[in-house]
Amino acid sequence: MTKDSSGDVRLSGISKTYGAFTAVHPLDLTVPQGSFFALLGASGCGKTTTLRMIAGLEEPSGGTVSLGEQDVTNLPPYKRPVNTVFQSYALFPHLDIFENVAFGLRRRGIKSVKKQVEDMLELVQLGEQARKKPHQLSGGQQQRVAVARALINHPKVLLLDEPLGALDLKLRRQMQLELKRIQTEVGITFVHVTHDQEEAMTMADTVAVMNAGRVEQLGSPADLYENPRTTFVANFLGTSNFIEAEVDTRSGDEIVLRAGGGKLVLPGARCSAPAAVGGKVLVGVRPEKISLTHADEAGGIPEGRNRITGRIADSSFIGVSTQYVVDSPVCPEFEVYAQNIDRDPRLVPGAEVVLHWNPAHTFGLDAAQSLLAGTTGSAGIETVAEEAAR
Amino acid sequence: MTTLTDAPPAAPESAPKERPPRRRGRLTPYWLLLPGLLWLVVFFALPMVYQASTSVQTGSLEEGYQVTWHFATYWDALTDYWPQFLRSIAYAGTATILCLLLGYPLAYLIAFRAGRWRNLILILVIAPFFTSFLIRTLAWKTILADGGPVVGALNSLHVLDVTSWLGVTAGDRVLATPLAVVCGLTYNFLPFMILPLYTSLERIDGRLHEASGDLYARPFTTFRRVTFPLSMPGVVSGTLLTFIPASGDYVNADLLGSTDTRMVGNVIQTQFLRILDYPTAAALSFILMAGILAIVTLYIRKSGTEDLV
Repeated sequence: MTKDSSGDVRLSGISKTYGAFTAVHPLDLTVPQGSFFALLGASGCGKTTTLRMIAGLEEPSGGTVSLGEQDVTNLPPYKRPVNTVFQSYALFPHLDIFENVAFGLRRRGIKSVKKQVEDMLELVQLGEQARKKPHQLSGGQQQRVAVARALINHPKVLLLDEPLGALDLKLRRQMQLELKRIQTEVGITFVHVTHDQEEAMTMADTVAVMNAGRVEQLGSPADLYENPRTTFVANFLGTSNFIEAEVDTRSGDEIVLRAGGGKLVLPGARCSAPAAVGGKVLVGVRPEKISLTHADEAGGIPEGRNRITGRIADSSFIGVSTQYVVDSPVCPEFEVYAQNIDRDPRLVPGAEVVLHWNPAHTFGLDAAQSLLAGTTGSAGIETVAEEAAR
Repeated sequence: MTTLTDAPPAAPESAPKERPPRRRGRLTPYWLLLPGLLWLVVFFALPMVYQASTSVQTGSLEEGYQVTWHFATYWDALTDYWPQFLRSIAYAGTATILCLLLGYPLAYLIAFRAGRWRNLILILVIAPFFTSFLIRTLAWKTILADGGPVVGALNSLHVLDVTSWLGVTAGDRVLATPLAVVCGLTYNFLPFMILPLYTSLERIDGRLHEASGDLYARPFTTFRRVTFPLSMPGVVSGTLLTFIPASGDYVNADLLGSTDTRMVGNVIQTQFLRILDYPTAAALSFILMAGILAIVTLYIRKSGTEDLV
């Protein structure tokens, strides 16, 4: 956006260990000035610890934190030009909204705060509530006070620790848009910690997916979704189908794979695994990229599409789309989301079908990893294991 | 108040729907109040009325006392014993401030820093209660004894020169001086300060400290702007629990003091038990009560605790 780099956050080799448990493995990360950056992961993955190290609330076990050109690793929180929106807001209960928002300005010895505080309360649409105490406000309003209290200091970086976690779904959607609007308006670097993949995708320019103290993958939401490089990312962001396949031939930009009896084509650029001929690769494809055709009409499928056969095991109509579970020899529970445009009445459980998709929508992953990484069940187990380690 | 306003809404739930007359259910809270009210009537209201009537009686022990509405007793008591009243308030006030200065850091430590030692320290704070108040005060008599190690140490450090100059000790002695009495009061009432302070400090959300630090407040500023204001309920109840009993106390002045350190409690005790001048003793009690009530009301107004969450 701008060439100013004073709001860059640079983490170099930063890590955090608690006794024998490593919360954050040495991590390098650069968040460019003015961007909306999300740290996404299940609870216990180290995202909050990373955020707290940027804020200075947690002392890193190794590595450095820099803001722009300044190394702030050894600065206490009150000397860092960053502000935090805490998970449960942490508003001062003995101060009214005005004084809560004015707190940071007053601590820096600024005398005439009235105008600034009023403008800030206007920005978060709380002008009327200035003289109320925090407990008199609703959750959404308290959340906006927390944002205002941090933003008024014009921090170089605003850190948000699961700021929407305590709100109900509808309010959360509304606040996501609100936060995005504010960020665009003030142009400050936002680092947002969340476990909600939808939240991260709607709000952030760049998302870092964290798992077990490491960044699994970093990129724009679309990039992460379309081209995941690990099964964790593929499963944590949306749903993915995986087919274990063997590399048959490799020519230029195209990898041809054998799975079951059929052949699948995968663009070389979309394969993050070393695909040597004869080696194994996990072929992934998102459920909504797949078309479903009744076996009787398989001849009408255009050439050049990846195709596999199967039988519909289950289908559920959910209004905007129909979700099918297809049993295929190469993959037991293949998920397919079909838009309800022209529904073929023959596509009911038990029907023989052909699944086909554009090879460009295929992605290839290293076969030596768990297919279930990042699914809700396994994330839970990991969390329990980490907490036990703590 | 709270019991009265909160309890009735709960009552209709407990009453079954098919029985429209719900009188029993509605009366339940009042029945529950009854034992407490009865206790207050027997042990608080009746003695108060009895004392009030005693204070306006005249007569003598031999002829018996009669209610003659002799309000002059109050005036006489006040003119005769105002130095003891002032002394009580000064000693109790000093002891309260000392308790706050000693108790706050300790309560803070227990609430935020003690970790797994928390319960042990709390038990140590309460431990003195396992022995009698009298025994503990007598122990201070030994501790502060003339020529004892404490006095010797204070003397060689020239602390006693300073305190003598201030007029709170006399020469080489600590015992039988205002300092000894205030020390005794501070010691005896310290747990009453620490416990409420601890309770209100412990309730403060640690993230508020983090938020304050995040908003450019240095640790001391965080204490002044966040921690201390939020602990005000504890400060107020702690000071009240210390000041009120301390200003009526007579044991410390009796055991550790001299005739020059008599507090109003000692006067009341003497009037009641030695001189047997019941009207004067009763009048003194009422004056003390009114005085404390006035001070406490003013104090609560000033500290504005009703504003706190």
